[in-house]
Amino acid sequence: MISRRRFVAVASGLLVVRPRPGFAQEGTFLRPEDAPRQLFPDMTAATERSVASTPPLQARIRDLMGGLPTLWEAAYRIFEVKRGDSVAGFAVVVEEIGKHRPITFAVAVNPDGTVRDVAVLAYREAYGGDIKERRFLRQYAGKNGAAPLMPYRDIQNIAGATLSVEATGRAVKKAIAVLKATGSVS
Amino acid sequence: MARSARSRIARSLLVLFLAVTTASPARAASPEEIEQKLKALEEQVGALRQQLEETRKAATAATPAPAPATATPPPPASAPATAASSAAPAPAPGPTAAPPPVAPVSPVGVTAETLGTLRPSWLSDFKLGGYGSLRFEGSDLPSVGDSFTYRRFVLTGDATIADRLRGYFELELERFTELELEKKTVSEGGSQGFSSAIEGSNGSEISLEQAWVEFIIADWLKFRAGNILVPVGRFNLNHDDNRWDLPRRPLVDRGVPVLPTTAAWSEVGLGFDGELKTDSLGKFTYEIYVMNGVALDSTVETFARGSGELEAEVEIEPRRGTANLDVKREKAFAARLGWSPSIGTDFGVSGYFGRYTPDFLPAENLWSVSADGKMTFGPFEIEAEYVHTHFGGITRVARGFAQSVLANEISSGTEPLESTIDFELAGLADTKQGYWLDLRYRFFPDFLRNTFLAWKFANPQFIVTTRWEQVWLDGLVTQAVFSDGALASLSQESRFVNRLTLGFAYRPVPLVVFQTAFERTWTNNGKSLASVTNFIPAGTSENIQNAFLFGVAFGF
Repeated sequence: MISRRRFVAVASGLLVVRPRPGFAQEGTFLRPEDAPRQLFPDMTAATERSVASTPPLQARIRDLMGGLPTLWEAAYRIFEVKRGDSVAGFAVVVEEIGKHRPITFAVAVNPDGTVRDVAVLAYREAYGGDIKERRFLRQYAGKNGAAPLMPYRDIQNIAGATLSVEATGRAVKKAIAVLKATGSVS
Repeated sequence: MARSARSRIARSLLVLFLAVTTASPARAASPEEIEQKLKALEEQVGALRQQLEETRKAATAATPAPAPATATPPPPASAPATAASSAAPAPAPGPTAAPPPVAPVSPVGVTAETLGTLRPSWLSDFKLGGYGSLRFEGSDLPSVGDSFTYRRFVLTGDATIADRLRGYFELELERFTELELEKKTVSEGGSQGFSSAIEGSNGSEISLEQAWVEFIIADWLKFRAGNILVPVGRFNLNHDDNRWDLPRRPLVDRGVPVLPTTAAWSEVGLGFDGELKTDSLGKFTYEIYVMNGVALDSTVETFARGSGELEAEVEIEPRRGTANLDVKREKAFAARLGWSPSIGTDFGVSGYFGRYTPDFLPAENLWSVSADGKMTFGPFEIEAEYVHTHFGGITRVARGFAQSVLANEISSGTEPLESTIDFELAGLADTKQGYWLDLRYRFFPDFLRNTFLAWKFANPQFIVTTRWEQVWLDGLVTQAVFSDGALASLSQESRFVNRLTLGFAYRPVPLVVFQTAFERTWTNNGKSLASVTNFIPAGTSENIQNAFLFGVAFGF
């Protein structure tokens, strides 16, 4: 058995450590305006515009996604990212519901419509926050809107976070659809 | 003189006080200044109104009617967010793409900021969830037969109390449908009396499986206190029925069990958990707790015989520790270390150590160790768990128990009712060990995507599962005979239990699963499955059971 003195010493040692602040599963991890820099580290400039989510646009997005998203945003925040004089790609802020709450993503898309990278801006569920790990989001790079983007098909699932994994796939599809529907990518 | 000096000091203090109190508040604005400010505000409101009208007009002009599908749409209107940003030329739409006209709006932040600030950090955010499961079982053992079982309904609640404070609870209603208490005063034949009755569903249990609060100091250091799942083995930590594709829990965790007590196993205590992410080695997690811990506890079963005899059987077995005063006066420890080198793959080692005897028995410890893991290869999954548990000093425990009980049979000679009390040491063995191994394959044929099995479901799945389980019990207590406060004899034996399960499941959505399975369970020849499992009421020599199971499990 651990002696009382040793237990108190260990507990005191833990208390004097000054760890970095931690977060619960949920939280806001990145601001939309900072997303282009994270998703395109070599960018030189970014232009932001906001596109209203009108019913005709929604209809177009729905057709391109091949189904309904779990929610419609009021507007889409689109960043056109440049590297020198050329367009490096686009970053779109979209949301999809995980189990109970919307998850906010920034999806980076290459000019050819393939995914460059994905970042989780805000996560509001109690479980499933592992989807914000780089090793999970890395899987979406190179995928396009025609890919299933579903666990056990072309995406490695995270046990206990399946609903959030599915939401990530829908968010990526939605982001590509938004860019296509607004004529940003072909 | 002194009085004059005091008077001067008092006057000075008064002047100083007045100066301070009158100078502290901000100077009030004059009516002219207020009027100017109001005017400026009115101008700003007017400008905003004008901007709003222009935006509305632009939206109306841009979306009078949907553009024909083949028409070349105008480039989408956009509003640059910054004057310095360079406007990119609108890409030419594809030949078949027909993006509808879109209206520019002011670049109001999308939901990341707005939703992030909807809830103040001090306001608790509560999410209610749960899971439930039922099962139909058809067995070739007459004592089991065919039966529906409502396995459990569990309510879960998760509260973000503040940014770094979180609470969670799990309340289980196992095989529970009703509980009714009746107490009244009765009057019969001119004499008064009292009566009480309890009506409840058979084999039912209400259990607080988890209830804890967590203080997040850092990702790698979270303090947790309350009723906590003991982190031994991966099943105990992931025991929700709707997570699994077979309708019965493993022998190691539930059916025998090899764990010191049945899953879901929780204890009252406190400790730390956390995770450490690395770029090259993946993610490491840990949990370490001190808790009351498992203790031998009694379950009293009463039998009213037709002969007029009332018999009580007191079963002494290891059960989860008390949430009240610790009957052992010593604490137990549990820890787990996990490693996930990549997505879909994780391994864990865990252990538990603590005294399991109440303080009226000799102090004896039990320890339990486990290794588990899961690996994913595309649609294939391998998941397994091994648990080894050792109960120390069983003979000494039995001897101490004999001294406490004094006699194994106590008879009350009040005619016509005769009472008999039997004591039984159950579930104790020197060593228990076992494992389960799941092999799974997930698929869904494309030709079924237009059928009712997939309609309106984004990613339905079929899962084929094979589970192979083995359990060995060494020194299993089968009989303890007490005489005059001493242990007359202690019979022990070595046993095994094997089970093979073949299952097929359909998951329309991740939270709901329909399960079918065939399972074959067997033990030593000539021995009963009833003495080594807690769910098969087999006869004395029935050592094999074949069963068909159909189950439904759901979460929300």
